[in-house]
Amino acid sequence: METKNASPILFEPKLEFMKFSLIPICLVFILVIAMAEANEPKAGFVKNVSGKAFIERNKVVTAAKVKDMLRENDILVTGNTGSMGVILQDNSVMSIGSNTRLVISKFAFEPADEKLSFIAQIKKGTVVYLTGLIAKLNHSGVRFETPAATCGIRGTHFAIKVEDPGN
Amino acid sequence: MKNKSLLRVRNIFPPLVLFLLLISGCASTTQVVLLPDPDGKVGTLEVSNVKGTQTLNQAWQATVSASMDRIPSEPKLLEEEKVRQVFREALEAEPIPPVSFIVYFRTDRSVLSTESLTLLTNVMHAIMSRKSTDIIISGHTDAVGAIDYNHRLSLRRAKAVADILIARGIDRQNIQVSYHGKGNPLVPTPDGRPEPRNRRVEITVR
Repeated sequence: METKNASPILFEPKLEFMKFSLIPICLVFILVIAMAEANEPKAGFVKNVSGKAFIERNKVVTAAKVKDMLRENDILVTGNTGSMGVILQDNSVMSIGSNTRLVISKFAFEPADEKLSFIAQIKKGTVVYLTGLIAKLNHSGVRFETPAATCGIRGTHFAIKVEDPGN
Repeated sequence: MKNKSLLRVRNIFPPLVLFLLLISGCASTTQVVLLPDPDGKVGTLEVSNVKGTQTLNQAWQATVSASMDRIPSEPKLLEEEKVRQVFREALEAEPIPPVSFIVYFRTDRSVLSTESLTLLTNVMHAIMSRKSTDIIISGHTDAVGAIDYNHRLSLRRAKAVADILIARGIDRQNIQVSYHGKGNPLVPTPDGRPEPRNRRVEITVR
């Protein structure tokens, strides 16, 4: 058997070469991604999920689960039956109803360095938010942006609905 | 030839973007409603776009912004029931806000008083009602004593609290313990001054 398969052996040196060069490249690549992920500070975590609810990170969509960590630039997405509740690092709480798309476009909670801001973009859907320490410590620190308005907040509880532009 | 076509693309681009912005702005009508805080208080909310600002300061008051080029509508009081209907899913998914507790200690001690043990019963209720998997316990001391000694004392205090919660059935993996010695006082004092309010463990249930 082995002697008959002479032709594949011809290709073996080439394959071997590819293996050697690809493995280190892949490893470095994975390491760089892992380091970037580790450096990205935590913005909050998922507290509850029902129905179709997802987290979109770097264009990769995964089903949201309780205790999932959230980071800056994550997008919270729900389908026509979904909802999700999250707690952010400054102890503010936010929840979204179905057919919602919300981008955590900025989140910084480092009181020692006076870095205090949370900016969310609501593309569509329903959102309820109760402010936490960022709004308390920095009066212009929390902002919700929609295609038609911007909400500046002073320590409070509110609901926003953005009609789906597709409708 | 190539330059000409490039120019044309450039000329078309800004009006096209503006047009697209206008349509998306028109379709994405934004409604904002001020809700009462969980403790019943009502805050203030500013809703603005390029044309102007509306301020909401009553519970169930709302404003609508149809697009960036029209000022948001005058605040209008909505019926609570209607608001609850529109935002039902989001309101049902709204987590209970995190809550913090403080347990105090006598000088140089890490044993909990009877009063503190009663407070830990409230902490247990807070954990249960939130199904909390994120309990943060931080130990502190006042400014009396050496830095190293106080670090160890604050860790003993934090661990004493954590151990009681674990003994009452809380999963150790859901607890994060940190210790600060005299480094993070509730009431800042000069070094060496006793301050009962700083001899404490803070517990946050999220």
